[in-house]
Amino acid sequence: MAAGIALAVFLAGFGNTGQVGAQQPVTLNLYINGDTNIFDLWQKGFIPAFTKRYPKYKINFVGLLHGNGGDGVYDKILAAKRAGRTVDVDLWETEPGFVDQGIPQNLWLKLNSTLVPNLAKVPVSTLEAVDYYGMPYRGSSVVIGYNSQYVKTAPKTFDDLVAWIKANPGKFTYCDPNTGGSGQAFATAALYRFVDPAKYAGKAYDPKEEAAWEPGWKLMKDLQPAMYNNGFHPNGNVAVLQLLAQQNIWMAAVWSDMGLDFYTRGQLPKTMRFTQITPPLIGDDSRVTIPAGGAHLEGTLTLLNWLLTPEAQTMVTDMVAGYPGIDWKYMPASVREKFKDVAKGYSPYPNPKYLADIKRLWHEKVAAGQ
Amino acid sequence: MTGSRREGALGLLLVLPPLLVLVFLIILPAITAVVDTLTPPAGAAPGPTLAHYSQVLATRVVRSDIGFSIVVTVISVAAVFCLSYPLALYLRFNQGRLPGLLAILFTIPLFVPVVIASFAMITFLVNHGLVSTILYRLGVQRFPPLMYNATGIVLTEVWASLPFAVLILGAGLQAIDDALIDSARDVGAGRLRTFVSIILPLNTTPTMITLTLLFISIFGSFTIPYLVGGNAPQMLGVTMTNYLTQYFRREDAVTMAVIAFAIASVVGAVYVISVSRRERGVL
Repeated sequence: MAAGIALAVFLAGFGNTGQVGAQQPVTLNLYINGDTNIFDLWQKGFIPAFTKRYPKYKINFVGLLHGNGGDGVYDKILAAKRAGRTVDVDLWETEPGFVDQGIPQNLWLKLNSTLVPNLAKVPVSTLEAVDYYGMPYRGSSVVIGYNSQYVKTAPKTFDDLVAWIKANPGKFTYCDPNTGGSGQAFATAALYRFVDPAKYAGKAYDPKEEAAWEPGWKLMKDLQPAMYNNGFHPNGNVAVLQLLAQQNIWMAAVWSDMGLDFYTRGQLPKTMRFTQITPPLIGDDSRVTIPAGGAHLEGTLTLLNWLLTPEAQTMVTDMVAGYPGIDWKYMPASVREKFKDVAKGYSPYPNPKYLADIKRLWHEKVAAGQ
Repeated sequence: MTGSRREGALGLLLVLPPLLVLVFLIILPAITAVVDTLTPPAGAAPGPTLAHYSQVLATRVVRSDIGFSIVVTVISVAAVFCLSYPLALYLRFNQGRLPGLLAILFTIPLFVPVVIASFAMITFLVNHGLVSTILYRLGVQRFPPLMYNATGIVLTEVWASLPFAVLILGAGLQAIDDALIDSARDVGAGRLRTFVSIILPLNTTPTMITLTLLFISIFGSFTIPYLVGGNAPQMLGVTMTNYLTQYFRREDAVTMAVIAFAIASVVGAVYVISVSRRERGVL
């Protein structure tokens, strides 16, 4: 760690040579975590549209595939902060873990609607969730995908879903919770069926509270024989979509954005439909965070404000089938219509410690059946 | 003599980089890991303790994963051995185009990354894959699933390890003097007798080396069991990774690593003995 910081200080020293003249274009350095679909959203959607509208800015895009290299970016920002320099990371889309780590170090810019006027359109709760240290610009949740050729009545509640699984053995599955959020969503839904989700979503952590999960584990264990291939859970969100595509299964827990994206590209049967049950499955917003020591704050704030315009937000819904960062009421009616079955809010993620225990206990109690 | 001293210094200089890598990246972390696992948890009585081990081994999933890893490894090693020995013999004692072509064909898996090999096996063996389609067309309607379980792991490990085993066994067989085999035949030994009494004993050391290295590499593999294995039980490589990166239980993961290391070192000891026997010229 120390060596990493030292190296980053060294590198940061060479990063910002020369002042940018008033007439020269300003280059904003964006570090984006994500999969290739998110890279496309930025490189083929946001960046060309933004630089066309604001020709003064140029964008240097750095893609961090699946978050690889996040440690290095964090060290670089921290090193610049300690050295009292500006840093050439103007915007970072990253995991909550890094944002949390950096808050006590004063690494991030606290946002408000004076700095970013369009922030007023963002639901307050999603901003408060990260203390205004990140701006949600897209979201997604896990939903139930089903093949309407075989499923005539879609489940409306979690209990409906359980009843359907039992009545149609072998035609449903969810991914191993170690390997994807869609599997974690089914597991948490079963646990949340018997407990108050709010208790596990906050920062507090007490392993004793996990005793209340027992009925949930029993429910999942009892469902195992009715799962695809007598209890098989594939690795990863995509593997589940592939099972739906091959019509090996008729229903599954899938990410809203991935499912709609696959569907739009014709990689799922035409008869696939997506719906949200009650209470809704878990979901989350993806946020961008601004290093307080960024060298081009004015430009970054311009970009942030533009990201929350209907123009940019429609790219989110169209290109990656994400939920908008701004409230649905600011979105065009056609977009609201397209998402009406799935956009019903979502349940909170358990905090990282409970989530880690859920994954471990799922393996012990459900997969190994002990 | 200064000449020999200089040579000695040069030799030391040449072995220094790998030695440093060995010390700092393998030996020191291994010692730290062992010490870590023996350190009592916060609040407990000081002094070395086996609490971590009893805690980890008290978890039934972990115990079944350890057993599963050993069983899968032993079956894979046995299967690789049974397939590779005849092949190595064939390549050793036959000349011509076909053996030459086969020798090249069988090394192909050496150059295919295991990730690609694993995905190839998945498309090949999965339900609705090529193999199950052929079986179905042949009228075999019910057969056990071939993928996402121990069968899938064994088949993929065998495919990936075969060339390595053929190469090592083959190298050993090349070293056997043709004169010995010819003389055995001259006194009337049949093929089987020649194999059992001459070839097998003369090839003991390469055989032991092949078996031990296969065991250690399959036992410690991650990619193949991660991609083609099932949800439970899992092989130790996958279990350890889960405990480290998914469950945030570093100490449990380290404890399992030490247990895995202990199992592998028993096999490793066999390897060291075999090699040193050969160096002493016993065989």
